[in-house]
Amino acid sequence: MDRRQFTKSAAALAAAASFPGIVAAQAQKLKVGVILPRSGYLGFIGQSCQKGADLAPGVIKELLGVDIELMNADFESNVDTARTRAERLIQEGANALVGAFDSGASTAIAQVAEQRGIPYIVNIAAAPQITEQGYKFVFRNFQTAGDIVRNGLDLIGELFQATNTVPRTAVYMHVNDTFGQAVTKGIQAVLPQRTQLPFKIVDTISYDPAAKDLTVEVSKAKSTNADFLLLVCRLNDAIALRREMVKQRWNPMGVISPGSPGMYEEQYFKSLGKYSEYSISNVPWYNPNAKLTKIVEKAFVKQNPKEKLVFHGLNAGFTFEAILIAADAFKRAKSTDPKTLADAIRQTNITDKMTLGGPIKFNPKGQVEGIGSACVQNLELVPKVVLPTAAAEAKPVFPAPYYKT
Amino acid sequence: MTRTAALLLALLASLAALPAFAGPYGLSVAILILYFAYAGQAWNVMMGFAGQLSLGHALYVGVAGYVAGGLFFHYEVPPIVGLPAAVIACTLFGLVIGFLAFRFRISGVYFALLTIAFAEFTRIGFDHLAWTGGPGGMFLKVAQRNTWDLANFRGPPAMYYYAILAMCSLAFVACFFLLRSKAGFYWQAIRENEDAAQALGINVFRWKMAAVAASSAMTSFAGVFFAFYYNNLFPEQIFNISRSIEIILAPVIGGVGTLFGPILGAVVLTGLSEGITESLAALGWEIPGVKQVFYGLVLLGVVMFLPNGIWPFLSRKFKL
Repeated sequence: MDRRQFTKSAAALAAAASFPGIVAAQAQKLKVGVILPRSGYLGFIGQSCQKGADLAPGVIKELLGVDIELMNADFESNVDTARTRAERLIQEGANALVGAFDSGASTAIAQVAEQRGIPYIVNIAAAPQITEQGYKFVFRNFQTAGDIVRNGLDLIGELFQATNTVPRTAVYMHVNDTFGQAVTKGIQAVLPQRTQLPFKIVDTISYDPAAKDLTVEVSKAKSTNADFLLLVCRLNDAIALRREMVKQRWNPMGVISPGSPGMYEEQYFKSLGKYSEYSISNVPWYNPNAKLTKIVEKAFVKQNPKEKLVFHGLNAGFTFEAILIAADAFKRAKSTDPKTLADAIRQTNITDKMTLGGPIKFNPKGQVEGIGSACVQNLELVPKVVLPTAAAEAKPVFPAPYYKT
Repeated sequence: MTRTAALLLALLASLAALPAFAGPYGLSVAILILYFAYAGQAWNVMMGFAGQLSLGHALYVGVAGYVAGGLFFHYEVPPIVGLPAAVIACTLFGLVIGFLAFRFRISGVYFALLTIAFAEFTRIGFDHLAWTGGPGGMFLKVAQRNTWDLANFRGPPAMYYYAILAMCSLAFVACFFLLRSKAGFYWQAIRENEDAAQALGINVFRWKMAAVAASSAMTSFAGVFFAFYYNNLFPEQIFNISRSIEIILAPVIGGVGTLFGPILGAVVLTGLSEGITESLAALGWEIPGVKQVFYGLVLLGVVMFLPNGIWPFLSRKFKL
């Protein structure tokens, strides 16, 4: 090395040391901290979300040519732990955070992200307040609780139109927990505004989430002679309730959920077999016909040969998209600098997406608007999109064939 | 100065200096340890000192959080004003439970069941209260500040750390003097043999009520801290029995009825379990739920080999 070369090298080294931002700007890899409840009472869902995260680096590399390094953390279904996990991931160099399925945990992580100035993309959490705090680094690509109920009820109207049916009465059953209560309040607020819906609720029956026997509740619901059952449930109670309906030979026009888990999950099919058929759930979902879905599905099957994407669609789909948002912003920003990355996320406009609804675009509060729901019906022992028609894999079946007038 | 006092001062000095060298992650773990140490110390007054088993202490954390948080959320009443209201509300709750139990001579397991029942129906009640946000939760307005605003309890993580450290230190000192006061001796007499204590002329009802009031009032500080540190409250989470169990684990493992027990228990449970998670992650092993397994193993080990907790063993061994 001659004197001139030495001077050049020294100048370059000095510049790099003086401007760490330049070094960051040349980063080739985006480190994404994924915080999910992989143990504890939400463990089942957290692991389902993780499947979407695990396939993201490969698919995104193929799509965008961007290298992603996942940094996984389990927050054990505990808000306290969520906060410390977020701190740890940031300390270990995460450039962006993704998670956390639960609204309480997401709020705790959002505070850390905002304090430390690291972009945080919420994959699934419905509390509207998360994006109402004036945060600059918090973004959400999921429906708020109000949107879920509104979209769910609107899809019920579309279902009746598509099947030329006019049910006049419904009996409303709901699980009596935080989620069930929240949806019930949403229904009470939204239903009176939906004058196009032809039915009225003749009775409301709540039940304990831990109830093993729903004999009384189902016989009470049956006695109302309602045309269909409007159900807000979780997984175990949905199975118990459907079994009880079979036992009591109660065959209404159908069972429709305006926005709850349970009836599209794998365990529902495994436990009930043919009795799982025709149940309907109106939930945020992925578009089975989207180009990106096909790519993700291929990667999913490769990573999980014994499983089907359809049973993890909601959880894996939204988690994958959250990482995609971070990767897309990184590609445009060409930097891992948190502020530059957050600015790039704000400018996101992803049209080629997996989930239903319009393009992924954030409003000034950091919320994506116009995320769609699907009417998902259990047909041939898998959940299939039957509405909206553009995304449909099959035609809706309503009333169910077992219905007797 | 005794060896124990010297050790304590050294510990306090190093804890006071911690924010200078611990990163944000280390600080958040330290806050968690001190939070459980404080809540455990508050529970210890009732169970460890007076022998009244409560399995529903999450009730006081939740009520205090909601009272101070709700006043702040709805009327912008600063937590410095909300705190006394929270203390009063929790003490009243404690006194009602105590009166119902002790007036009708409910004790032991039945008293524990009563405390669970109160936490449960308060949870259900709060689920239906519009003022608390119901099941959808209450989200306090968050303001990111780098300066300390103690009146509104808003500031950087270091402020929360020093606040919980101060709470822990004061609780330790208060419990130290309580144990050596008339009340402390009466409580220990009741704990050891209630009938004998009564025969000696101790007003058992009155002193048990005092223990419940002191414990619930102390726990309310933890509730207010929780509300303003995490800024969100959900009835299903904050009143959950798992929260009550979390509170009692530290003193049970550290040593029920001892001053150092809750602190040592919190360090062992939170500190070591975080350490294990970290070590496994560093080795590239991701094992979801490893912390719960660790909790179970420690509890099993303590029950089998150190039934009085870790601190009594250590204090005997090292003559502390």
